Amino acid sequence: MLLALVLMCIALWTSNSDFLGASNVVNTTRQISMLGIFAIGIAFVIITGGIDLSIGSVVGLTGVIIARFSSSQAGGLGYPLWIGISVALLAAVGVGVLQGLLITRLKLQPFIVTLGGMLLLRGVSQTIVDGGVISMGDSPLLDLANGGLLHLGRDPLLSWPLLIFAAVAAVGAYVLHYTVLGRYIYAIGGNRDAARYSGINVDRVELLTYVISAGTAGIAGVCYAAYIGQMSQQVGVAYELYAIAAAVLGGCSLRGGEGTIFGIVIGASIMRIIDNGINMFQVQYADADGIQRIWRLNQNWTNIIVGAVILVAVILDQVVHMVQAARRLKEAGNPRSGAAAPKPLSHPPPVPSGSIPPPGGTKAIDPARPAP
Amino acid sequence: MSDPSRGNTPVLLKMRSITKRFPGVVALQGVSLSLQEGEVLALMGENGAGKSTLMKILGGVQPPDEGEISIDGKPVVLGGVKQSKAHGIALIHQELMLAPNLDITSNIFLGNEGAKGGLLGPLNRPKMNARAAELIARVGLRMPVTTPVSRLTAGQMQMVEIAKALSTRARIIIMDEPTSSLASAESEQLFKIIRQLKADGIGIVYISHRMQEVMDLSDRITVLRDGRYVGDLQRAEATHDKVVAMMVGRELSNQYFPEKREHISTEPMLEVEGLVVPGAPDRASFTARKGEILGFAGLIGAGRTELMEAIFGVTPALSGKMKLGGKDYAPHVPRDAIDAGVYLAPEDRKRHGLVLPMSVAQNTSLPNVSSYSPLGWLNRKTEQVVAEEGVKRLRTKTPSIKQAVVNLSGGNQQKVVLAKWLAMSPKVLILDEPTRGIDVGAKAEIYRHMADLAAQGITILMVSSDMEETIGMSDRVVVMHERSVKGVLERHELTQLAIAGLMTGKPVATGEGNVTPS
Repeated sequence: MLLALVLMCIALWTSNSDFLGASNVVNTTRQISMLGIFAIGIAFVIITGGIDLSIGSVVGLTGVIIARFSSSQAGGLGYPLWIGISVALLAAVGVGVLQGLLITRLKLQPFIVTLGGMLLLRGVSQTIVDGGVISMGDSPLLDLANGGLLHLGRDPLLSWPLLIFAAVAAVGAYVLHYTVLGRYIYAIGGNRDAARYSGINVDRVELLTYVISAGTAGIAGVCYAAYIGQMSQQVGVAYELYAIAAAVLGGCSLRGGEGTIFGIVIGASIMRIIDNGINMFQVQYADADGIQRIWRLNQNWTNIIVGAVILVAVILDQVVHMVQAARRLKEAGNPRSGAAAPKPLSHPPPVPSGSIPPPGGTKAIDPARPAP
Repeated sequence: MSDPSRGNTPVLLKMRSITKRFPGVVALQGVSLSLQEGEVLALMGENGAGKSTLMKILGGVQPPDEGEISIDGKPVVLGGVKQSKAHGIALIHQELMLAPNLDITSNIFLGNEGAKGGLLGPLNRPKMNARAAELIARVGLRMPVTTPVSRLTAGQMQMVEIAKALSTRARIIIMDEPTSSLASAESEQLFKIIRQLKADGIGIVYISHRMQEVMDLSDRITVLRDGRYVGDLQRAEATHDKVVAMMVGRELSNQYFPEKREHISTEPMLEVEGLVVPGAPDRASFTARKGEILGFAGLIGAGRTELMEAIFGVTPALSGKMKLGGKDYAPHVPRDAIDAGVYLAPEDRKRHGLVLPMSVAQNTSLPNVSSYSPLGWLNRKTEQVVAEEGVKRLRTKTPSIKQAVVNLSGGNQQKVVLAKWLAMSPKVLILDEPTRGIDVGAKAEIYRHMADLAAQGITILMVSSDMEETIGMSDRVVVMHERSVKGVLERHELTQLAIAGLMTGKPVATGEGNVTPS
């Protein structure tokens, strides 16, 4: 996938040198970052084998809460910004806790719980903005999206969202790859029962992953609120699907147990660069009359291309898996290949001389043989 | 052995010299069987004797490698479930094959709807309902045929299965442990129907471990052992002891079991008193001593695994008391058990014991990694050292500790499960079918490790369906039957006959065992 990403960037750059122009780079990395923040969160859920469909709505909810509490414009309550952000983040975490409790305590299916959450929170957002739009005006919040470090002219090379993304990715990678919690998350995704039989508190770990997922969606929501500036119920619609796609492109399996933070970063980058690339990609050519023309991708193809990329990626992944499995099976069938394959007991152990030979040899126990 | 073709009842089914091989194992070797019209033939044998394989061949689920089958004297080939059905054979599985969400009618005619026009053909519900009503009346079930199957009791479901068999005009009905999930009144009802089917000329192959039922119901008993035909007994000549002797009847080869220690501490390690396991009819009580290998014998479904899971806290016991080393012990989740020093190597190690895609090291450290990882930071160095030690100690064959366990053989996988627990300090180690699916060499190694651990004072509870293993390894044996503890046999009482007798529900003779069922 990293290779695909690099090739994609090179292709885009050669077709249109503006691709690596300052404003496009800043804008694209900001987009990647905002998606990446909650894609990392949902990865925690996906690696345990769960799913969280509510995060797009959490992104929206966070934004409208901030607007409602802190906007000084019509519809806003005009409280200080930090109050709006704190309430919004608390709400996001609260959503994660509630959904997590429903999933772990009542054993409800994550798909349904978070689908309900998705619709319900969307409605809550709509109620908060009363079906309209609350503008953030010229709130200092907007600097969060537009400001940053290392300015190149007007644009910051390192935008705040990018720095937040880096921080979230670093913490995420640490938790997932270097802590006991991370190990438990992989173990639960790999085999929930075995994890339980090994004394892992599966419910608590799972609950935590839903809190992480909703929490990162909250952080992303703050960024989007700053970026968009005009909060309506439409903010964040279908974002969860982009995050899931990014996670899958990044090597997560929806069956659980697989995926890395690095992969998610790549996955989120691919998702956003495809979007950007559809705008940027161009081919210059001379038509029949020798006049230079520029061919561009049709904007209407955006979803077709994004969908096709996802499908091709998972098809390739599955083919690789099947080839590997077939090879393993072949190796297992070959006794000389050593460690592989349980070997059933095929010969009865020797019978002490003098005793009556058993008519049927010793009972063989073999998993391939169904027990009566 | 009697000649089934004697008398003037026509022979319905004949299977001759049936052989079936699975990779590396011969499941059936030249087995023959015959069934007359209106006869109930009981098929008996230990776990793994080949009964189910034979019945699957008859049901068309698996083809035989060798041998011939004839019905009404005409040779037939049972190449698939459909063909088998067309020849009038119906197989009723132990786990009922009904769709709980559909009603009785739909279940009876599932796959046999009789609609013209393939998958899009219209269902003739009134006709199907009428026919279903007729069929369930025949098996004594009185309720609307539109009742969803999920609302039926296990016994009623059984009746629907039989009605389903009758709907295909089956003349040979095979029942695999039909009473295993039935209450006794429901069993009585089933027996009534079996007698009625018999009167209608239907031949029944009846597989059951319950000796009493077999004695009451069958006309003839065919015994299999280790995939071979042992013999036939007419009902009149059969006794419980005779049948058990035929089922077991082999000498033990003691060669690869380590020698048992002479003296074992009498200090109790795990005391279980009046434990009520979900689903069990009786309270279970036993005491396991320090450094003892306590075997648990019983047929599949005798409730041994459930008892072990209660002791390990997977499904907590409903009531009763346990003491571990003299202290009260009541695990609610596996973590409680692990913290107390009680570990379980489960029966289904791929499902419950290992995270297959993870490495040897990661599996080994799973229950314990937090104890050497300060503040949740994963201490990979210690993890690797511990895993290396486990591999060395148990002589696990793996290219490296980074290898995913899915790539290891059954024996080596089991060693990883053991290593995981041995890296901690076990007081009680529960081994559920410790050598299932493991080859002879690895088996012997695991036995040696078990003996070593016991010698170090670790108490081992070993559930085993392998009679040799039970006798060869155990210091004492708890025998279970139908989810109850039937008795505890001391070392000098450990004979196949004694165990098999208790296992199949023979009443406990006085002086045999020191615990009687409550």
